[in-house]
Amino acid sequence: MSTDEVTAVILAAGEGRRLEPLTNRRPKPMVPVANRPLLEYVVEAVAAAGIDRVVLVVGYKQERIRNHFGDGDDWDVTIEYVEQATQLGTGHAVLQAEPVVDGPFVVLNGDRIVDAAAVSTVCDRLRDGDAPLVTVTAVETPRDYGVVQLDGDRVTEVNEKPEGPVDTNRINAGVYGFTPEIFDAIRATNATGELAITTTLNDLAERDSVTGVGYDGRWLDVSNLWDVLSVNAALVHDSDHARDAPATGQRVGDAVTVADDVVLAGNVRIGPNATLSGASAIGSNVTVAANAVVENSVVLPDAVIGPGAVVRDAVIAGNARIGPNATVVGGEATVVVGDSVHRGVTLGGVVGDNTSIGGGATLTNGAVVGDDVQADAGVVLDGRVESGAVVRRG
Amino acid sequence: MCGIIGFIGDLHATGASDGGEGDGETPASVGDIVHEGLRNLEYRGYDSAGVALVGPRSGLTVAKRSGEVDGLTVPDVPDATHGVGHTRWSTHGPPTDANAHPHTDCTGDVAVVHNGIIENYEALKAELADHEFTSATDTEVIPHLIEEALAADPDADLLDAVRRVESRLEGSYAICAVRKGDDRIVVARRGSPIVLGRGESAWFVASDVTAFLEHTRDVTYLEDGDVAELSPDGVQIFADGEPVDREIETVEWEAGAAEKGGYDHYMRKEIHEQPAALRQTIAGRLDVDAGDVDLDVSFPPGFLADLEEIQIVACGTSNYAGRYAAQLFEELSGVRATVEIASEYEFGAGRSPDRTLVVAVTQSGETADTLGAIRRANAAGARTFAVTNTLGSTITREVDGTAFIRAGPEIGVAATKTFASQVATLAMLGVAIGRERGALAPADARSVLEDLRGLPGAVQQVLDNEERVREAAREYGDSEAFFFVGRKLGVPVALEGALKLKEISYDHAEGFAAGELKHGPLALVTPDTPVLALLTDGSRAAETKNNVTEAQTRGAPAIGCVSAGKEYDTLDVSLPVPDVGIAEPLVANVYLQLFAYHVANDKGRSIDKPRNLAKSVTVE
Repeated sequence: MSTDEVTAVILAAGEGRRLEPLTNRRPKPMVPVANRPLLEYVVEAVAAAGIDRVVLVVGYKQERIRNHFGDGDDWDVTIEYVEQATQLGTGHAVLQAEPVVDGPFVVLNGDRIVDAAAVSTVCDRLRDGDAPLVTVTAVETPRDYGVVQLDGDRVTEVNEKPEGPVDTNRINAGVYGFTPEIFDAIRATNATGELAITTTLNDLAERDSVTGVGYDGRWLDVSNLWDVLSVNAALVHDSDHARDAPATGQRVGDAVTVADDVVLAGNVRIGPNATLSGASAIGSNVTVAANAVVENSVVLPDAVIGPGAVVRDAVIAGNARIGPNATVVGGEATVVVGDSVHRGVTLGGVVGDNTSIGGGATLTNGAVVGDDVQADAGVVLDGRVESGAVVRRG
Repeated sequence: MCGIIGFIGDLHATGASDGGEGDGETPASVGDIVHEGLRNLEYRGYDSAGVALVGPRSGLTVAKRSGEVDGLTVPDVPDATHGVGHTRWSTHGPPTDANAHPHTDCTGDVAVVHNGIIENYEALKAELADHEFTSATDTEVIPHLIEEALAADPDADLLDAVRRVESRLEGSYAICAVRKGDDRIVVARRGSPIVLGRGESAWFVASDVTAFLEHTRDVTYLEDGDVAELSPDGVQIFADGEPVDREIETVEWEAGAAEKGGYDHYMRKEIHEQPAALRQTIAGRLDVDAGDVDLDVSFPPGFLADLEEIQIVACGTSNYAGRYAAQLFEELSGVRATVEIASEYEFGAGRSPDRTLVVAVTQSGETADTLGAIRRANAAGARTFAVTNTLGSTITREVDGTAFIRAGPEIGVAATKTFASQVATLAMLGVAIGRERGALAPADARSVLEDLRGLPGAVQQVLDNEERVREAAREYGDSEAFFFVGRKLGVPVALEGALKLKEISYDHAEGFAAGELKHGPLALVTPDTPVLALLTDGSRAAETKNNVTEAQTRGAPAIGCVSAGKEYDTLDVSLPVPDVGIAEPLVANVYLQLFAYHVANDKGRSIDKPRNLAKSVTVE
């Protein structure tokens, strides 16, 4: 038997508020690393695992997803879309796929990158008649995720972001194998507020069996803004450069240094004496002007890095402009996300879509500048700058 | 991208009729079914099409030509039992009759359609030195290799031959082969999509299920390396020479959803493709620092220096792109520029042909009116130039030079992304000519090129505001009439905005120069006639706003596309346009496209195929 019968359901409806401002205009699965959206890596893993049919559960800013993936031809899969109009949790998202799924299926998160092996292992087990299945992987910081308690290969509990100490580093990798029976189980789940798939799995773990499937391959999660940089760095090394665009449209000036670990989209313009290094990704129609330095950064399409600007450890979103000699110093920072404080993360700064940073301005480490911000020349930007703000000098 | 369709089996079982209204009794012919499949696949390419039909008495009948599927006359072959078809969108190499599929061997007994690329075709072609090749395609080696395989082994049948040939091909392909005197279609797949449709007594093969979804929803996707045989007895699939069973799946979704990537209409998809299309349009062409463009066009020495006039000839939306460009030519290139409706064009008196450049603007490159105008310009001895989306189109063979807009295929009849890419390409041409003539200072050129560079990002911002346009469409969509006004570069955009709405919503819409409002049309203005105004850079916003106020005084609601940072608090709806200088009206046009779309969609119009209209008008 082939894997033809297994459908992949990829959850891509979420907003991803912790990645603001990058997610103000695009859903989290469309945040690019190594010049390609997170979701594209997930779709590729599914296709490489031999699955032909993909159902994308979309919602927030779904045009971006539909426009990028179309009918899936470019990935040699058939993509269908179902809509989750309001984001009421992963269980609710899975439920939206019910009308188009009538056999065993794999569920993945559209913003977590896994290898094809994670998918094909679940497919194999599904064909052996095992379900429901939860893929389990080991991480260094299990308390940030759903910690999985196992008895042999039986899952006894999935504990979401536990407060206290944990006795295992095994977590829910977010790749599941289900049969359509799961839909009734989700409906039968009592939940206040969001209906999480893990709540249903915990119910099932109490009554009958939920099987854990071990996975020790690549598992890349983008929870916070600085993860964009680390995941980008992990991917630029093995990215398929030719895939992004025909390389014919590049204009690269004299005496430009482009390190091997930099991914350039096809139609970029790099001015003379510019230096690009340190695991950077430069998107389509980006300009890096003369003498600019870009290091360990992710630059989204249409952005302009002005002459002499220095951009280190930064995410520069779509159509943003970094003025001449503006500086994102780079290095470690303390970043506040919601009500939690993250210390010692590598994040020079983030500049939102369509924001313009004036000449000679400086972002202090960890500065997060929203969309459509107009920052005057020479200002110092610190902490969070709200979208649409006008930052004047003096 | 290309599309393949094949059919074999019981015609009565397909449930199709010959297309006559209320005439469900007569079964369709094989040719009808293949032709219909091609129409469903036309989104995969539409610059050439062809079919091969096989019947016990008629043998093998092949018909193919460059042009759209509807232009293909499928021969009437009453005894045909099976057939294959192909629709092509050439990205490399011209769409000619000879290059259209199916391709045949020297004997004319074998016909092949192919989607993909045969990477080693040159080596294979060298081996086939004694065969006669009639096209410039990689595909043509396949029928000749099949011919060789059949000749080498008298016991070999079509299936054996395809298997043998398949092992020699490198690259990606989905192939369908038919042969005179053989009652089968043989299919092979590696790398390119192909799916089998499995009715009860009728079988299909296609690049995409949409080709046959009206006939059957039971499908089998072939795997790489599979070879399949479709015969009157059914479907047999082989892997490594052994018969295999492949799963039969049932397709749940509706026809039309697949190719539009989940969008309801091509038009909406294409509106949203504009940032990507524009990035392709400008890719590698802007040298912002040097204030120049690299458009890969050349003119004879001295021609541009002595140039007295640029005449733009075009129809419909392309004509409005031309009107936008004409103003840019005068400003950037320092040369008189005029725009003519192609069907009205004549090389008028008082002009010197060798000092005139005639620029044709046509998406398809096949527009009959525009071709006619170019022929008249050529006959007068003028130098001619084309700005088009279509490689190898007729116009490119009739002009002295061409610039491609690189917008990618556009399926919706209402042109959207090609308008944006046409204007961007023409603006680059204006800069190139201006720089060459010394009429444009590098600093001024830089400023224009900065604006063009900012276009994709600016259009994306407009798309991000779609919800506001949808609300405006809901609120004002049922009005009696719509007036679009602007000045300067806003005039062609007002005309285009009105045309879009007319085309797809069938509402009365008019576009004109804002100053003309008081010279007549104001008599039509009532509280039930919204005014849509271009209030951006390049459209003389302040003066236009005065004209909008004239309309508002008569009770008309006002919707304005306004440069970001400016505010007119008297507008009923204000849509912000990012700061991209002379490109702002072009960006504002995206709001008008979305407005037309949502008004038409709320009314349930046939958006991608408006009544009475065709994509590329190849008649005069």
